[in-house]
Amino acid sequence: MADTSQNAQRTPDSFEVRILRQGGPGQNSYWERHRVKHEQDMNVISVLQNIAANAQTVDGKAVAPVAWDCNCLEEVCGACTMVVNGRTRQACTALVDRLLEDNPKEIELQPMTKFPVLRDLMVDRSRLFRSLQKVKAWVPVDGYYDMGVGPKQTREQQEVAYPLSECMSCGCCLEACPQYTKVELTQRDDESDADFQERKNAAYDSAFIGAAAISQAVLFNAHPTGKNIAGERLDALMDEGGIQVCGNAQNCVAVCPKEIPLTTSIAKVGRQTTLHAIKKWFDR
Amino acid sequence: MAKKRVMIVGGGLAGLAAAMKLAELGIDVDMMSLTPVKRSHSVCAQGGINACNDQTRQLGDTEWKHFDDTVYGGDFLQHQPPVKEMTDWAPKVIDLMDRLGVTFNRTTEGFIDRRRFGGTLYKRTAFAGATTGQQLLYALDEQVRRWESEGKVKKYEFWDFLGPILDENGNCRGCVGQDLVSMEIRSFPADAVILGTGGCGLIYGRSTMSMVCTGSAASRAFQVGAKYGNGECIQVHPTAIPGADKLRLMSESARGEGGRVWVPRTPHDPRDPKSIPEAERYYFLEERYPEYGNLVPRDIATREIFDICVNEGLSVEAGRQCVYLDLTHIDAPELTRKLGGILAIYEKFQGVDPRFTPMKIFPAVHYSMGGLWADYERTTAGGLVLDSPQNQATNIPNLYAIGECDYQYHGANRLGANSLLSCIFSGLIVAPGIETLFASQKGAAADLDKSLFSNAVKKHQSDHDALLKRPAGKENPYLIHQELGDVMTKAATVVRRNDQLEAAYSTVMDLHERAKKCSLSDTGNWTNQNVVFTKALLDMFPLAKAIVKGALQRDECRGAHYKPAFEMPSLKAEDPEGRRREAEQWCDRFDANTDKWLKSTIATWNGNEPDITYEDVDTSLITPRPRLYGLVGAEVIEEVWNERQAKKQAAKGDQGNGASKPAIAGAAS
Amino acid sequence: MDTNPSFLARHEFLIRRLHSLSGLIPVGAYMCIHLLTNASTLDSSATFQRAVYQIHSLGSILPLVEWVFIFIPILFHGIIGVVIIRGGLPNYGSYKYTSNLRYTLQRATGMIAFVFIMWHVFQMHGWFHFDVWLKGVAEPLGGAQFAPYNAASSLGAAMRGVAVPMLYVIGVLSCVFHLANGIWTMGITWGVWVSPAAQKRADRICAAFGIALAVVGLSGIGGAVRIGNSDTVYEEAVEVEEKMWNAKTASGEIDAQKALHKRSHTTDGHASAE
Repeated sequence: MADTSQNAQRTPDSFEVRILRQGGPGQNSYWERHRVKHEQDMNVISVLQNIAANAQTVDGKAVAPVAWDCNCLEEVCGACTMVVNGRTRQACTALVDRLLEDNPKEIELQPMTKFPVLRDLMVDRSRLFRSLQKVKAWVPVDGYYDMGVGPKQTREQQEVAYPLSECMSCGCCLEACPQYTKVELTQRDDESDADFQERKNAAYDSAFIGAAAISQAVLFNAHPTGKNIAGERLDALMDEGGIQVCGNAQNCVAVCPKEIPLTTSIAKVGRQTTLHAIKKWFDR
Repeated sequence: MAKKRVMIVGGGLAGLAAAMKLAELGIDVDMMSLTPVKRSHSVCAQGGINACNDQTRQLGDTEWKHFDDTVYGGDFLQHQPPVKEMTDWAPKVIDLMDRLGVTFNRTTEGFIDRRRFGGTLYKRTAFAGATTGQQLLYALDEQVRRWESEGKVKKYEFWDFLGPILDENGNCRGCVGQDLVSMEIRSFPADAVILGTGGCGLIYGRSTMSMVCTGSAASRAFQVGAKYGNGECIQVHPTAIPGADKLRLMSESARGEGGRVWVPRTPHDPRDPKSIPEAERYYFLEERYPEYGNLVPRDIATREIFDICVNEGLSVEAGRQCVYLDLTHIDAPELTRKLGGILAIYEKFQGVDPRFTPMKIFPAVHYSMGGLWADYERTTAGGLVLDSPQNQATNIPNLYAIGECDYQYHGANRLGANSLLSCIFSGLIVAPGIETLFASQKGAAADLDKSLFSNAVKKHQSDHDALLKRPAGKENPYLIHQELGDVMTKAATVVRRNDQLEAAYSTVMDLHERAKKCSLSDTGNWTNQNVVFTKALLDMFPLAKAIVKGALQRDECRGAHYKPAFEMPSLKAEDPEGRRREAEQWCDRFDANTDKWLKSTIATWNGNEPDITYEDVDTSLITPRPRLYGLVGAEVIEEVWNERQAKKQAAKGDQGNGASKPAIAGAAS
Repeated sequence: MDTNPSFLARHEFLIRRLHSLSGLIPVGAYMCIHLLTNASTLDSSATFQRAVYQIHSLGSILPLVEWVFIFIPILFHGIIGVVIIRGGLPNYGSYKYTSNLRYTLQRATGMIAFVFIMWHVFQMHGWFHFDVWLKGVAEPLGGAQFAPYNAASSLGAAMRGVAVPMLYVIGVLSCVFHLANGIWTMGITWGVWVSPAAQKRADRICAAFGIALAVVGLSGIGGAVRIGNSDTVYEEAVEVEEKMWNAKTASGEIDAQKALHKRSHTTDGHASAE
């Protein structure tokens, strides 16, 4: 790949990357600098791949490769979320040349701050998946035998539902949300895995559920079959840590890599819970 | 007695479909995945899922034609009963996914919209924007989460499958897994283990596959005795976006929606593509294949693009190989509505808006048709016995393979938008078979002697510990992976030559030896991705060898396996009689080749190398026929072929089940 | 394991919604009336005094009304507000979006407003109306300066100098921003404006409302400062108040003895003017 366009000539031969590392949960974090050779079409993933293949700091000290999470590298799996130059995003779409335009000195990588760090840039986002359970984000079908076609839906319905259904549980909306705060528990010595899991679930359930799950509730509440349990979803969203914790900072929608109309979903749940609460009050 | 359990390894479409169906049948499921299942590679499938439907039916389509397109596209290298069953089920699979809430695109009246995909003449493909795989996966993920909340499914995410546990009789009794965070190694007793672990694209270094698609799980089963079928059948996707970390798919739907592939007639024309007049553009697919145009099957599109760049030197750029895939003649809002997702991907990774500037693309390794050998039980009518425990079973009892990691459905080449179907179908079909299996099994794996499991754990633990204790300063696993990728990409992708394959085989052997001497840059025992990668790398070699050896030995062209030295020639004679004679010879040669090579390559691991044997293919439903795309003299060959078929038919008497298909689709006329 | 979530946790939804509601009704609505009334000082001291007489015509139930509809809702809104603020981690430094700035400002202005209102009520009203408190604590500390039946003059007197009016400008603008932005977020919370377009329209209306209310609020401060800083205006105010007092007591509408505490401490009205 011998691209010799002017753009390629202007970029530096190499650049520095500053990474916030952490050996494991409960350990101290520290910054580490790496120098990476510049290549065409680089993104933060290829930077980390380079570092993995040649793990030494700028001072030439050999270190363990940086741990990070990624999979599809096409921004559809949601795995590679991290904080790049102070902003939460997918590492795979963080193009090196763009980052260097903003800050030619270095690229800064940090793990997400709202989830417990497992190691380096790897975090534990199981709380996010737990929240999908809490809002029953599924269509409650009878079963998987052949029961004929699904409910007919208009193109307009599809066009509203599709963007919501693109949510890949990356957690950017939660990372940027000022109301979403970290829940990190440590397993007690005398605690079984199952008990620890139960304690974690309870802690997750009472903390703010966040935009992603709220939006999934909207998706399924609008589905012709999914809405059969809309009330249960709204009940879940009116529990502790529910919709009411939202502070309308609207960072979620601004940082969402899939541009999902999260604040519209939040307002919709606002309306649905208002009506649901009134209905429940009078139906008692 | 403990309750019987199933362990599903891999949480993509196939694994999730199986989990959901098993849970419905009341069977408890454990599910192990390298990544949270919602992040599985299935999300990358963009274009759609095929099924005959009410609209195409009225245009003459049937399930049978879908079946025919599939086996024809696969160059007849797949057993036909499972494929027939799959295409028969396809409309029901779409209905089911629709009921589960998949946001399929709709027509104005509210029906599921369809588009046309490569390799067929019907608009058979249902799609959800440009993220059909993601949407289908999510629907299944949601159902499995529902079962998880009821305690029927237990997920082990961020766990690596280290291998099946076999008892003294060679029956699979569970598996060993490793927690990728804590590095804990433990056993999982299971009465059936299902591998739905996807493809092995990472053997090629950069491909369109996700980072988990190392093939390591399939390889670990292969190395303890599972057979591996048709390894050499690797699909190269014609249109991918070149990138430093991976090659990103540009879905076939870009062509399906009217995208045109071209190059400037002047090599490396420096002009802005939009300013190049029509006359100076070479729409080579449209010119060479007037009937299918840009929608020729993948292997042909791939080869033509490769040919244009490598042999004709017409690549758009001088420094690297690529051609234009042009959508700019279509209305931008329409493109956004139909292809928004994939176009956004291009724009995101290349910084150029493909609605206004033609995309640059080049072929990339995309799918492994081959995989773990899997069985089936056939009905007399040619379909599957639906609750047979043989369906999807590997040769290791109680070990099953589904989805991309089985070799069952796509033969030598996969039809576009059939992968999602085969994954979901194989996942659904395996469940009732396992129910039957459980009914016949005595005792549960969990009640077996504990030593079976603890010994298995011990073995893997000591391998793991030994790896960590490797002396420093030896081979670098990441660099060896790059070398492996380079040699595999050069020798075993679009065009294959025996001299190159031989050289590649010995290089792969050498690399394997070197890989065994890898030293680790991380010797810790917490979230050590270095050791996990090194293990996966080591397990790439058995499959890489199976791929190269299979390719080396298969001296013919079949589907994605293209060896120019063994290509069926075009007719050269100008006079009708000469042509006719050549056509007769051509058909003779074709028949001879079919007799010799219409066989599945079956690899078994001997500890160092794959041993290759061949398995007959059940082609009892549709007689194999030649693919004549773009061949000079195709119409004469077709004529001769049809006459011969008619004669055979007459000789056999009329015992037709609709299987005989004298006409050759796709012949250029 | 904690199996008993706190009262706040169990009723989080209801409490947050009441918090949201209380910001508009009665607190926000009251603030609008209050600022409008105050702005009447710009018209004339008489207009202002008339308005105050009207409010005080409620007589002995006025304290009840004040506590139930004003003080308790403000305390509720303020205290829950503090709880809410403690639950968040503003991050405008990393995510510089307008809506995020507004989120941060909503919390900052809420805190300012709460402190300001507490001080303001003390300064003007003295918090409690029993004599021991007023004489023993409030007045010595500079509280309870407002005399309803010397409305304009006592207000003017309380607003002399630069520091106090500046605090009022900051306090009132905080309150106004907090209300206007709060109405906007409330519309989302309750699901009144849902789509981005609707939220944008609501945004403009709330901004216009906020600007208008800010003008009204600043007018009130301006009016009060004018009275306090000009001897002639001040004297006029005292005169008008005197006339009105005399008329009201003469007609028997007000019992002079009982209402004396609502007057400035000397009948000539100069006591609080040093």
